Amino acid sequence: MRDISMILKSVWKSLFVFSAISIIAVSTVSAQDAAEGRTLFKAKCTACHALDAKMVGPALTGVSDRHSEEFLLKWIPNSQAMIAAGNPEAVKLFNENGKVAMTSFPELDEEKVKSILAYIKEGEPKAKGDATVAASSAANGGGTSGLSIAGIVAIVVVAIVILVILGRASKLLERLILQKQGIEIEEDVPLKVGVRKMFKNKKFVMFFILCLIIALGSWGWMGMWNTGVHTGYQPVQPIKFSHELHAGTNQIDCQYCHNGAFKSKNATIPSLNVCMNCHKAVQARDNYEGEISPEIKKIYNALGYDPETQKYDKSKEKPMEWVRVHNLPDFAYFNHSQHVVVAEDAIRKAKGLQPTEPVCFACHGPVNTMEEIYQYSPLTMKWCINCHKETDISGQKNNAFYAKVIEAHEKIKKGEKITPALLGGLECGKCHY
Amino acid sequence: MESNKKYWKGLEEYNNTPDFVKNNKNEFAEPLPIEDVLNEAGLSTVTPRRDFLKALGFGLGAVTLAACQSAPIHKSIPYLVKPEEVTPGIPNYYTSSFNGQSILVKTREGRPIKIEPNPNAGEFNRGTDARAQASVLDLYDVSKLKAPVLKSEETTWAKIDTYVKSELAKAQAAGKKIRLVSSTVNSPSTNAVIATFVAKYPAAKLVQYDAVSYTGIIQANQNSFGKAVLPKYNFDKADLIVSFGADFLCTWISGEEFTAQYSTNRSYKSLENKKMSRHIQFESGMSLTGTNADTRVPIKLSEEGPALIALYNAITGNALPGGALPNNTTADKVIKLAAKELVQNRGKAVVVCGSNDVSTQILVNAINAAIGSYGTTIDLDNPCYLYAGNDAEFNGLIAEMTRGEVGAIMFLNSNPAYDYLDTKKFEAALKNVPAKISFADRADETASLCDAIAINHNYLESWGDANAYEGYYSIVQPTINPVFNSRQAEESLLVWADAPVKDYYQFVRSNWESKMLPALGITWSNVLEKGVVTVAAKPAGTYSFSLSLSAVATSIINSSKALSKDVQLHVYESNPMRDGKNANNAFLQELPDPVSKVTWDNYVALAPKFAESLKVKEFDVVSVKGSNGYSVDLPVLIQPGQAQGTASIALGYGRTKVGKAGNDVGKNAFPFVSFVNGTMQYATTVTITPTGSYYELAQTQTHHSFEGRNVIREATFKEYLKNPAAGTGKSEEGHKNYDLWDKWEQPGNSWVMAIDLNACTGCGSCVVACNVENNIPVVGRDEVRRRREMHWIRIDRYYSYETPTGDVTREKEIANLEDLDHVSVVHQPMLCQHCDHAPCETVCPVLATVHSSDGLNHMAYNRCVGTRYCANNCPYKVRRFNWFNYWNDSRFDNYLNNEFTQLVLNPDVTTRSRGVMEKCSMCIQRIQGGKLQAKLEKRPLKDGDIKMACQQACSANAIIFGDANDPNSEVSKALRSERIYYVLEEINVKPGIGYMTKIRNTDTTVQA
Repeated sequence: MRDISMILKSVWKSLFVFSAISIIAVSTVSAQDAAEGRTLFKAKCTACHALDAKMVGPALTGVSDRHSEEFLLKWIPNSQAMIAAGNPEAVKLFNENGKVAMTSFPELDEEKVKSILAYIKEGEPKAKGDATVAASSAANGGGTSGLSIAGIVAIVVVAIVILVILGRASKLLERLILQKQGIEIEEDVPLKVGVRKMFKNKKFVMFFILCLIIALGSWGWMGMWNTGVHTGYQPVQPIKFSHELHAGTNQIDCQYCHNGAFKSKNATIPSLNVCMNCHKAVQARDNYEGEISPEIKKIYNALGYDPETQKYDKSKEKPMEWVRVHNLPDFAYFNHSQHVVVAEDAIRKAKGLQPTEPVCFACHGPVNTMEEIYQYSPLTMKWCINCHKETDISGQKNNAFYAKVIEAHEKIKKGEKITPALLGGLECGKCHY
Repeated sequence: MESNKKYWKGLEEYNNTPDFVKNNKNEFAEPLPIEDVLNEAGLSTVTPRRDFLKALGFGLGAVTLAACQSAPIHKSIPYLVKPEEVTPGIPNYYTSSFNGQSILVKTREGRPIKIEPNPNAGEFNRGTDARAQASVLDLYDVSKLKAPVLKSEETTWAKIDTYVKSELAKAQAAGKKIRLVSSTVNSPSTNAVIATFVAKYPAAKLVQYDAVSYTGIIQANQNSFGKAVLPKYNFDKADLIVSFGADFLCTWISGEEFTAQYSTNRSYKSLENKKMSRHIQFESGMSLTGTNADTRVPIKLSEEGPALIALYNAITGNALPGGALPNNTTADKVIKLAAKELVQNRGKAVVVCGSNDVSTQILVNAINAAIGSYGTTIDLDNPCYLYAGNDAEFNGLIAEMTRGEVGAIMFLNSNPAYDYLDTKKFEAALKNVPAKISFADRADETASLCDAIAINHNYLESWGDANAYEGYYSIVQPTINPVFNSRQAEESLLVWADAPVKDYYQFVRSNWESKMLPALGITWSNVLEKGVVTVAAKPAGTYSFSLSLSAVATSIINSSKALSKDVQLHVYESNPMRDGKNANNAFLQELPDPVSKVTWDNYVALAPKFAESLKVKEFDVVSVKGSNGYSVDLPVLIQPGQAQGTASIALGYGRTKVGKAGNDVGKNAFPFVSFVNGTMQYATTVTITPTGSYYELAQTQTHHSFEGRNVIREATFKEYLKNPAAGTGKSEEGHKNYDLWDKWEQPGNSWVMAIDLNACTGCGSCVVACNVENNIPVVGRDEVRRRREMHWIRIDRYYSYETPTGDVTREKEIANLEDLDHVSVVHQPMLCQHCDHAPCETVCPVLATVHSSDGLNHMAYNRCVGTRYCANNCPYKVRRFNWFNYWNDSRFDNYLNNEFTQLVLNPDVTTRSRGVMEKCSMCIQRIQGGKLQAKLEKRPLKDGDIKMACQQACSANAIIFGDANDPNSEVSKALRSERIYYVLEEINVKPGIGYMTKIRNTDTTVQA
């Protein structure tokens, strides 16, 4: 019995799935070209083209109306050849667009070009409304997280209230049942009297006061210890830059922007020309109904860049004033390159980082999940010292600099773990000068 | 062998004045006002209860509020478009040159912060002088003009150009002269610009005018050998140097280079080869060079000529008249001795003279020719182009101006309204010139009299080149964008000349590419990379002297007679201030004079006995009146070693329009210069009368006392040859030391230093280099008087003579030493000794100063609570206390306390706040930087990777730094020298800095 029903169930299931898939497949056959075209367009074309805006190349909406398909099929894979051959339409197009040669795409066969053209004709799928909502909620990330915490707290409170009410109700019901069964029970002492009684109990008062002192004391102690410790500090930045998007989703290497970290004491906040390497083309118009993202526009404004003319106006330059998240006091000297280049392996081992994760995560935390950046580590001297005491740097023997130094130290301490502390890493002057 | 020499830092110590004895007992010589506070206003005043509660309440509230602050907002502003070569946090180095000397400029994030010597610059340009080190501060001078000025109002370049062009055209049309007055121009490109300008305005001409002139030597060489040049001196080839008043280790021609040459025959390396040159100095005032001489004989200015005649006669056997020194038997004897030695060292000796008198220099030429100096120690064929000014020409120009023949005049890098001998005459003459243009960067004494100030770039903002010596070219390249709306003078000239190429960079480059580079087979980028280009030197010819000297002798004797009355005054360039062009540089103003240790002032230096005869004491203000009627009131400084009957006053002070730091510091001594026999003379006669007032000079010399302990060890060259350890005070058995402390291993590196007292000339460039590198504040005159200067390295100057109980004189000829004329001097750089058993560490209650495993004495400023116990317990007195927050206190506004000037700060070193102690960190930022570089390159640290700022600046190579754990390091080798001793070794603090004994080559092979 049971087996048969199981078999039947699975048959039903597969039948249902198959039919569902086939229905979807049939209904999307026409969309297939456009979807493939969209992927291709994003991969090949967006560096220079947008649908509704002029970038390096012209806006492409309506391109099929402006040019014949025959022309486009030739033009897109190899426009230079057409120009060289003297095709008048091609030459005209070339001249109209500032004589900027379009990259040749020999890998695009006729099918692919048609797909792209289909996508251009159809335009972006109409899920725009949702996308913008998502984007705007993402942009308000900081606020949302605060709200969600409040929400959770509210839920917990409501749950407790319900629990209390339910508890009372069940107690009442129990009592009613007991009464029905004829068992007498003592009347409840009124709450007021009970409390008064409790406070007359010296042991209880003693205990209560002790608890209060411990609670207040530890609260004060923690508060004082953490004065000036800004773990979790997340100031509002002038541009709502998302590390989650750039380092997480897009997998951009930390060094691409923070290129000082591997050479210098400063990791450096990237200058805006680094942003422009991508954002000259990436304008996130899809999410803003064809407009340039307001955040990306801030980059353009700071540089005095006009996306229409693609010209920079030096007179309109205005420096970007970021708010420092990681503040070390002036009297503490910290050098990024010492840690991320010289001590990379030791730090990875000590902090248990995955090989795929950048060494930066050791102190900066999972940056690839931070919508807005915040201070992950306490950055206190104690925190520094602990790491210098505990990290095993025996692996540094491969570095010819340390080979000599470690050898020298091993003369004193044989067989023990080599830590930065052992090599003098705790001495005041190593960081304070 | 214990020396029984007595050393003293100042006369108060020598005389054991009551004040000195009293102050000596206290750690802080200035009484702290504790008693006053307790006695007067402190305990006796009543604090009402309510006030007390208010204060308490406020205090508590303020502290609570301060503690409650959330994260402070720090803005971080990256480049908009970062230049490719800049990585924030990493310095860039550019080659450039300062006064013809090739340098490296260190920049951080686009601002120059330090000057280093260029390692490509050649053997004898291995250091930099104090001026070069301090010059980076001039870039950040707030007293500079921010825009060009026309008729006392800020204006635009277009208006300046219109005005100047029309004025030049007017002058040209009216047939009037156009004159460009400049200090010596040795830049090939600037000369090309001037040629372009002269081509456009044929009435124009360059007049070179140096505030301190070398015309005498140039004209003497023209007269003697037909070559109007300043020769190249090779002190490295001289075994015997006889100098008559030439301060060649400091201010004379090219002191930095001469120091490097001089030290090659006197440093520890030379001594290890049993070789040491001998140096005899005859002079009136105590100069830096005089303090370094093996034998120094004070002579009056009027005796200089006769002394030279006597030397000439003794060498050649001629009998020129006037060669008698009846009143100076010592000098007479030493002259005869020197003559014998000079003859013996034929071809390996040189005689130099600081006089600017043509006749005197002709006589010096004759002497040098007689001892075969030409072709060896003096090179006339590869001359020096650092000074080419012509005194007579400038005087002629003033006459032309007075007659109204000059239609337009321009001043480039010259300031005659301050440094000409008769400023009134100059100013009156200037009034007759219709168009006056200055290229000064500020409204200085001359520029403020001009119609237009076409403000010039600082050299760190400029393009250019220099040709200091024949065949030695260096490049000047900008290291920062112009800060203010200035324009390079050369560019201004090109604009006014309507030249086809107006961009000066293009001009310099094409000038090099067309004229220089093809022959050398190198490219423009090679030039920029190396910074210097040397062309093979021409062979130095030998020259013989064949002229009659009778007229010369007569002229010398007449000059000498003219000086033999009243008080003979010598006006000289002082080490920090030189000709006063950098008078607004606070680092230089606070650099103590190498001999008198006076900061922030000039003074009248008098010999002790002579001062007594004038009835003046130290710091009495006297009125000095010149024969031309000019008179100044200056305080007296008692200077042992000053010749009797003479006085010395430093030039370069008394500027009135140079800026906030330098205005009215000291008095102007240029008006004491006289124009005699066609050249400027720096010797004159004055009368000195006490004024009755008192002015305390800010001296650093007796701020610390060694309580008569033996900190200086010295020996003669003869003793050294017998026993290299002579004078080190090391006994053969030694005695057992007991340590209070456990022995600490220094397994990694052990940073130590060796200082060669024989190489150190005391010039003080290390002091300024340290100031710039380590963000050391300038505290000003008043604070120096209170003994609060902040220098991490100081140069202690000790006077000495033999005590009567010992061997009274080493030189039997120089008998009477007790008159304080014949004192010898030792300079000792003193900095934190990084003792292994540091007394400061044990007394710090908060462990703010602790020892590191690499042998350094660390100082954690943020831990220091300012008890000052450490300074009290330091036997070397090298710890400095921050009495104020010098970086944010309006009392120090004139020095470094403003946002713009603070751009000079080294970002790798913390600025210390009020109430903390500081001291030499052994440039720990450089040690850490050097180590990191090696780590990044995965290689062991090499000897020489890390250099201290003081070491790098030292031309004489007197400071050697390195790792004592590396037996092959330079410093390990140096510390193995027998001459090494440790200062106050006997107190067993185990200092990390070894000093090498001072060796004096006083014993002569020739017996008089």
